[in-house]
Amino acid sequence: MLRLLIEKELRDIIGSTKFTTTFAVCAILILLAFYVGARNYQVSMNEFEAARSENLRQMEELTNWNEVDHRIFLEPQPLAALVSGISNDIGRTVDVETRGELSSENSRFNEDPIFAVFRFLDLQFIFTVVLSLFAILFGFDAINGEKERGTLRLSFANSVPRDKYILGKLVGSFLALVIPLLLAVLVGFLLLVVMGIPMDGGLWARLGLIVLSGLMYFGVFLTLSVFISTLTEHSSTSFLLLLVAWIFAVLIIPRTAVLLSGRAVDVPSMDQINYEKATLENELWDQDRKQMSEFWRSNPPSENESREESMARFRRFMSELADAREEEQQKLAEQLNENRRNREFVQQKLALNIARVSPTASFALASSDLAGTSLELKQRFVESANLYQQTYATFVNEKTGGMGGGWWSRMNSDEEADPIDPYELPVYEYVEPETSEFINGALPDMALLMVFNLLFFAGAFVRFLKYDVR
Amino acid sequence: MESKNQPMLQAIDLSKRYEDGHLALDNLNLTVETGQVYAMLGGNGAGKTTAINLFLNFIEPTTGQAVVDGIVTHEEPLKAKERIAYVSENVMLYPNFTALQNVDFFVKLGGKTKYTKEDYRKVLLRVGLQEEAHDRRLKGFSKGMRQKCGIAIAILKDAKAILLDEPTSGLDPKAAFEFIHLLNTLREEGKAILMSTHDIFRAKEVADIVGIMNLGKLVMQRTKDELVGEDLEKLYVEFMAGYMDEVA
Ligand SMILES: Nc1ncnc2c1ncn2[C@@H]1O[C@H](COP(=O)(O)OP(=O)(O)OP(=O)(O)O)[C@@H](O)[C@H]1O
Ligand SMILES: [Mg+2]
Repeated sequence: MLRLLIEKELRDIIGSTKFTTTFAVCAILILLAFYVGARNYQVSMNEFEAARSENLRQMEELTNWNEVDHRIFLEPQPLAALVSGISNDIGRTVDVETRGELSSENSRFNEDPIFAVFRFLDLQFIFTVVLSLFAILFGFDAINGEKERGTLRLSFANSVPRDKYILGKLVGSFLALVIPLLLAVLVGFLLLVVMGIPMDGGLWARLGLIVLSGLMYFGVFLTLSVFISTLTEHSSTSFLLLLVAWIFAVLIIPRTAVLLSGRAVDVPSMDQINYEKATLENELWDQDRKQMSEFWRSNPPSENESREESMARFRRFMSELADAREEEQQKLAEQLNENRRNREFVQQKLALNIARVSPTASFALASSDLAGTSLELKQRFVESANLYQQTYATFVNEKTGGMGGGWWSRMNSDEEADPIDPYELPVYEYVEPETSEFINGALPDMALLMVFNLLFFAGAFVRFLKYDVR
Repeated sequence: MESKNQPMLQAIDLSKRYEDGHLALDNLNLTVETGQVYAMLGGNGAGKTTAINLFLNFIEPTTGQAVVDGIVTHEEPLKAKERIAYVSENVMLYPNFTALQNVDFFVKLGGKTKYTKEDYRKVLLRVGLQEEAHDRRLKGFSKGMRQKCGIAIAILKDAKAILLDEPTSGLDPKAAFEFIHLLNTLREEGKAILMSTHDIFRAKEVADIVGIMNLGKLVMQRTKDELVGEDLEKLYVEFMAGYMDEVA
């Protein structure tokens, strides 16, 4: 009986012209997402390589390691091309200095207008916007439509248990829509292979889970649609209700969450922080300038000291001052940044938690967690850049004999030297965390999606047991 | 073989008051035995569909019982429905399925899985659906063509009791004539048939018992023998009018 009902649902949906046309659109979009994603990856990879070697090339003429303007770049990740998350909106380039704060800049190595236009067309967008509508389009009249068509009464003139009927409906329509979509996704996977995107086991596992959470998200809208169709008399009513629900879930709730958390938690602006930093810098400079002008008075050159020696003494003194100044500045900067980061973190957490009322947010979070393009990406990049800074500083200090950094030593560098070999620089590599870490990050949101599914499933089920089938 | 006098369909003090307070069926008592055709006549809103819906457990009775083959429908609806075939006033099927696919689905839903495609075709032909329509999608079917499919489905279910809600509505004269012939065959096969209709002429021709309903009440019931020589149309008008007088 259940099988018969499921088969009927499959045939009913797949045989309709509505399905043929809308599925064709969805399939094309999915394939396009994979294609554009893969191309995007290739292009960014080329740009990344080019930017990296260009940076090294620029160093070739230099003779002093202190003059080096070394930049490191965040390597493009294959999955980021499918679920872009924030990967396009964070700085992917860091100017490495041997000391001081590092900050990332430039959202891409190079802004390619074509890809900027198609940027929205990633797999995540297709799922959140297109496939959720697809689910609504085939679920909104699941029950009330059968009633309007009169097929419900004819079915229930037979000895058909209601639980089996609604189960067949839910399972059948899910399979009828998901199997064809999965086929399109599989072709997309094939496209990745054909286009030579370097996918390892971990990446495949994560991509598989992205698709799985996409299907769960799809299921949320399908079960919701069936549920609403058991709550309403007319399919036109359920369609309208579902559209409103869609607008809230996809468009309104995530944005409102950000607005609300922005009001609830105050984060000091960058301007504010920069102002405080500048104030401190000015104060310190004033003090140091006083000390500098008093240097020769309180430490006059002694008789047996050569001019070079006294200059060296002065230089040392200046260097010490600069170090102390910088240390203090750094301390304040760290404090301010830490405070800002904490506030920002609280604000983001709050925004995300409010947004999770909508399954769209849960899916977006789960998929970007899996793709490695969630908010944590930025933090990971900055952290790894900071780690690299230490290696880099050690390297430069070795090369320059401890005279690294600062304008002062640069201005007074020894005039005669051999050109440096930039390829001696320690290579920066962004290392992604373990696969399990991504998966663990996504699990809570995937569980949430499952809860939504079960909730609406149970709602539809219970409602239908009492449904007026006439 | 069941004895002729065991009621297959029985309404016992059956009443239905809808949620809005309207009393659509008022204490209906009727019996249809195996091998009998019962024709319910009555104006629009008389309560005929309500009575049939109660037999199908589409609605719960306010009081009384609808009994099918000894089974109270609102107590054991699934068991009762195994014994019922049903043709609605306006048969609606899946527009994307062909006639055969529709028949196949609904017949299997009715629990009959042994039929072949040829069996389906034979019955479809028997109810007058021409061969070329069998493999066409229902989308383009006329009301009468859909009605024929519905009748075929009911026949193929091969149930002991058949409920027909204005089965001939939408049928062309030839098909309606053949339908009467079909009813006679089904009766001979031992089915108990409860039918609502507006067709007084055919009701008299085919029915073993004729009941006239008005405002939810069964106001007249005569057997075929009692109707011999009577003008049913005149009776109908008289009873409706008489009842109206009574009410007034
Ligand atoms: N769901 C409902 N809620 C309230 N009243 C209803 C409902 N369904 C039917 N009725 C009322 O019950 C009465 C009987 O309706 P019913 O459909 O049984 O009549 P009928 O004899 O089949 O009429 P027709 O010949 O037009 O098919 C009518 O007055 C109708 O308005
Ligand atoms: Mg009726």
